[in-house]
Amino acid sequence: MNALLVLVSLSLQNPESLAERFAGMTAVTGYEQAMTDTLLALLPGSTRDRIGNVTLTLGRGAPKRLVSCSLDEIGYAVGNITDKGYLTLRRVGGGPRLYALFDQQIEGQRVTLFGRRGPVPGVVAVRSTHLTRGRPATPEPPFTVDNAYVDVGASSRDDVLALGVGVLTPVSLTKRPHRYGDRLLAAPNAGRRSACAALASAALSRPRVRGTVVVAFTVQSLYADTAGWKAVKNVQGPFEAAREVTMPSRFAETAVETVSLRDVDALVADLTRWMVGTGP
Amino acid sequence: MMLALVALVAVQDTSRIAEAQAVLSQLVESYGVSGSEAPVREVVKRLLPSWARTETDTAGNLWVRVGPGDGPVVIVAHMDEIGFRVDTIRADGSLALRTRGGFFPSLFEAKPALIHTARGDIPAIFLPRDTGVTRRTPPPLRVSVGATTRAGAESLGVALGQTITMPKQYVRLAGTRATGRSFDDRMGCAALILALRGLDRSKLRHPVVFIFSTREEIGLEGAEAAARQLGTTPRRVHAIDTFVSADSPLELQNFAVALIGAGAVARALDNSSITPPAYVDSLVALARARGVALQVGTTNGGNDGSTFTPYGVIDVPMGWPLRYSHSPAEVIDLKDLVSLADLVRAIAEDW
Repeated sequence: MNALLVLVSLSLQNPESLAERFAGMTAVTGYEQAMTDTLLALLPGSTRDRIGNVTLTLGRGAPKRLVSCSLDEIGYAVGNITDKGYLTLRRVGGGPRLYALFDQQIEGQRVTLFGRRGPVPGVVAVRSTHLTRGRPATPEPPFTVDNAYVDVGASSRDDVLALGVGVLTPVSLTKRPHRYGDRLLAAPNAGRRSACAALASAALSRPRVRGTVVVAFTVQSLYADTAGWKAVKNVQGPFEAAREVTMPSRFAETAVETVSLRDVDALVADLTRWMVGTGP
Repeated sequence: MMLALVALVAVQDTSRIAEAQAVLSQLVESYGVSGSEAPVREVVKRLLPSWARTETDTAGNLWVRVGPGDGPVVIVAHMDEIGFRVDTIRADGSLALRTRGGFFPSLFEAKPALIHTARGDIPAIFLPRDTGVTRRTPPPLRVSVGATTRAGAESLGVALGQTITMPKQYVRLAGTRATGRSFDDRMGCAALILALRGLDRSKLRHPVVFIFSTREEIGLEGAEAAARQLGTTPRRVHAIDTFVSADSPLELQNFAVALIGAGAVARALDNSSITPPAYVDSLVALARARGVALQVGTTNGGNDGSTFTPYGVIDVPMGWPLRYSHSPAEVIDLKDLVSLADLVRAIAEDW
């Protein structure tokens, strides 16, 4: 690798770049493989377990400690395909505490479908404002996934299948991380992704850890159970200490969830201290 | 991978579709909220054929005149798009907005924003609401540039009157379809440009004035200025604008049902004009004679041509079917743009 490539590679791995890069990825809970593929490539020596968690073991001996972040997100999977080539959705993840406007955020917006032949662009249908004119206007409840029709430009079910898209294909709002203000980063799930970016950055710095530190990027934290995290504990434990990495954010669960990249830098430093055994 | 798919689609395009896309994508990815159309006007100028001589009037409309004699046919498409204007910079650094044009504000809530300034765009966000999450419609939207004081916002270059939109991108969908924001009315502008590129000027028997107009979304203001200037002289006017289509899973099917991909549409009855039936028949006959796909329908919305009718000028508006109008996810079919451009050219040359 020549010097320029090394520089480019290092710049892509700094906390700021990683936070933006991770925020641009999609990992619908239970369908995280694309993001875990990236983590495996990014972190030499890391492995993926049967459930999909990516772990990297640093150091050896006692004490054995676990530091983890959850990389998954609430999203959607294709539930059905109509004869006219529209796709209907089922939400994946969430639950009773879900943000009331979560589904409304995809109405009339770009989405990406992660089909068998690669990402496919689509949009979620919305009524045309012109065609509501002259009709009674009544207060409406928020848009829900039950009214979500995804339009990929197809005219028939066969058109959709030819794109490599079918029932269970994961779907998310198209990710376009957005920098604004003084080192602020806005994106869906920016907090979770920045936490994972900070953890990856700390691991990539190869700190001289005290004992053994298992660095885990866990899956399926947002569905029926926290299956990913429990699997790491049960398969690789017991651990003398466990730390779940989180990142403070504003406007959580919205498409402009915002983190400060200064906080990401601070978290990397804190995690590094924790790994070498000098932090709390 | 997504880029590879787009490239593969492009390879399979006919040259007509490829040219239509090349013109349209540049127009769609420029920004021009009503009253601030200069960036779009510059893109239009760049895309016009080299022989075209342009004039910009005091209302900001861009004119291209071709053909001999008096009594022009006017063909008009608007350059502006919906959006917002900075109305107030609040003490907490957030921006209160004034809407420009009609749309559902919920489609912009909690989304990235761009503030357009003479020195470039300032990135920002449309703030999520604080309360009222049981309703679809948010309270009046505000924008944050990340500042916490008025002075902080101003230090980033924010000023009253600047326009605000959401970042946008032209994206190809399956087949010949595409999505983006402000196809209304960049499709119309693209149709005029493509028609001018293919125009056989030797066939013109009367003058044709192509107008790229301003401020349509806030009340047809640019076209009104052009109509006033031309007075009673035009033979006809053709507004080339969106045919808002009910070809969608969420719309009632009692009118506006023009299928996307099935060709241009005669917008024979809308909220601002009624085309005399004899003129609709003439348009249909012209399309048939030239082998151009044309649908006939009725939809909602106003059109620039209606500002000419008080001067006794007949308005024969045309469009193309658009799904999800005035949203960030409008959907069109490039085949419709090709047929619309062919029809505009036919009108100039043969009618």
